[in-house]
Amino acid sequence: MSTMSSPEPIPPPNDRRSSRASSSAGLPVNNSLSVATEPSDLLVRRKSRLSKIPPDVHLLEYTSPPDSNLVCLICHSAFDRPVQLACQHYFCRECLVHALAAQHIEHKTCPTCRRSIDPEREPLPIPKIIETMLDELVVRCPNTKSGCDWVDQRANVHDHVMLYCEYTQVECPNHECRLAISQKDFHKGCLHYTVSCEHCHTAMMKRDLEVGCVVSVSSISCPHCAADLLRLDLKAHVKDICPKVVVPCQGAVVGCTLRAERTEVVEHERACPMATMAPHFREQQARIERSEARLEPLARKVGILEDGLSNITNMLYPANGDHSSFPVTNPLDPNNSDAFPPAPLMPTPDFRLPPASFPPVPPSNDQSQTPFTNPTQPPFDSQVHHLLTLHDTLRDEVSRIANALTDVEGRTNMMILNENQRVKDEMLHTNAAINSMRMQLHWLMSATLQQRNSAASRATGGSTSASGSGSGTQGASSSLGARGSGTLHAPIRRLSDSTRQDVKL
Amino acid sequence: MFASKRLSKELLKLQDKLPPGITLVKADNFEEWQMDIRVMDDNPLYKDEVYRLKFSFSQSYPIEAPEVTFLRTPTTPIPWHPHVYSNGIICLDLLDRQGWSPVHNVESICVSLQSMLTSNTKKERPPGDENFVRYNTQRPRDISFVFHDNQV
Repeated sequence: MSTMSSPEPIPPPNDRRSSRASSSAGLPVNNSLSVATEPSDLLVRRKSRLSKIPPDVHLLEYTSPPDSNLVCLICHSAFDRPVQLACQHYFCRECLVHALAAQHIEHKTCPTCRRSIDPEREPLPIPKIIETMLDELVVRCPNTKSGCDWVDQRANVHDHVMLYCEYTQVECPNHECRLAISQKDFHKGCLHYTVSCEHCHTAMMKRDLEVGCVVSVSSISCPHCAADLLRLDLKAHVKDICPKVVVPCQGAVVGCTLRAERTEVVEHERACPMATMAPHFREQQARIERSEARLEPLARKVGILEDGLSNITNMLYPANGDHSSFPVTNPLDPNNSDAFPPAPLMPTPDFRLPPASFPPVPPSNDQSQTPFTNPTQPPFDSQVHHLLTLHDTLRDEVSRIANALTDVEGRTNMMILNENQRVKDEMLHTNAAINSMRMQLHWLMSATLQQRNSAASRATGGSTSASGSGSGTQGASSSLGARGSGTLHAPIRRLSDSTRQDVKL
Repeated sequence: MFASKRLSKELLKLQDKLPPGITLVKADNFEEWQMDIRVMDDNPLYKDEVYRLKFSFSQSYPIEAPEVTFLRTPTTPIPWHPHVYSNGIICLDLLDRQGWSPVHNVESICVSLQSMLTSNTKKERPPGDENFVRYNTQRPRDISFVFHDNQV
């Protein structure tokens, strides 16, 4: 796949999508002949610079050999975008194009049966079911050799290679460089520079260095102790095992200055107190480092929580010391003793100041006193805990107030009832008094009338000749008196006299 | 790339199974293969003889025909046939540009040659064999044969 520039008459496959679109419409043979003309080397290069090379379906490896009915007779692999000739022979589109290109320009025949082809009409599109069967063939990734283990239906291989496969070869990120590199190494930059292998000192490309060279598995003797070992293992041997190499004492971290061959150092370390202590020191050191590492995120967390808390605090109490903006005014608050009379009920603790976290505020009449502690000194162990406490205190307070309210209400009701009763009684008494007074008055009135009538009848009876100058009223009253004079000589007390009532009142 | 892919598939198939009388001798690369063929019936001309075929593939195989000739070795002679020159060059339309079709393959060529030999009864060379063998410098694919014998 990488040698696209090698001279071959078959051009690299075009973009799969565009060619598929044209294949369904049927491909005129005359047009397709131009495809066979070899594109210039430069063109191919430039094209591959722009994008990855799409997978060549002819080169795909199938997990199981495809059905022999699905194999193109020209390329001997499963059909790639097959077309059909009128003689019912099927070929890959490209195979047919190449095969017909080699034939005489005027006379094209079917590669299988040599029946002549009508270039106006053929090739024909193929039945959909064949395309489906081909799409369902299971293939391996074309980059299997590079390490990709992708296996899936053939229909997906294009997307896999072009989008997802990490082993697809792409142009080197360095524009001056013309070599290819795996997609997964793309971010490492250009690896196409020459380095010298540290084992064999032959020049090789950085990209290939990871694989290693042949010399690295050859044997070598240690320069210190003359032991035979593989060149690969030499470094590890010198570092950890070789008895002759000069190493410092284990206690060097604590201050031991001895440096000697490994065997001597081992002897020395048995007696050296610093070497004995060194592991403990190291352990402690590691522990301290771990703790510090753990502390750091915790400190950050605390900072975040503090910030959040002060935000919440600011929201709840927008201005410190401003009682009017307080969301719930407590009439029982001793701090508000100016605005409200002293609490008649039980004194309640200031719910704004949870005793566990706030220093108690001494009760004072000073209005400017801050009800809150200094914000620079966060008093809470936990923001949530504080809020919950606050909430509970508020709830207690509310229920206490509610109780007091019902209490007061009951009392007031009782008092009003008692008062009412008393007023009613008094009104009854007054009514009775008024009644008796009226009767007294009545009796007095009738007595007066009686007296006056009897006096008048005595006067008329004394003068036998009635004066003609007697007025009409006098005549009326005299007739009245004449009538009564016969029955009532003395005023008779009557409790009720309906005939006289209207006159009297 | 096209040729080697197809040839690798053919080779796999040849190594797996071959028609009677055909054996694979050498296929080290995708440029030149050697095959041995035997004629299976009792034709006295070819009885008990083995002929070696040399296939040369171009980069354009199978669009272009391979170059197929008989190869003379100590054990394998050139068969007598009116269309086979004594230098091994075969005059067969199947192997010519006009007669070739990409659906043919190594196996089908071998079978065709087998049948070409089987059907022959004349122990002779093509006319002008001596001159052709002496003066021909062309490669078989560049020779323009005139195909006149339709019985083959």
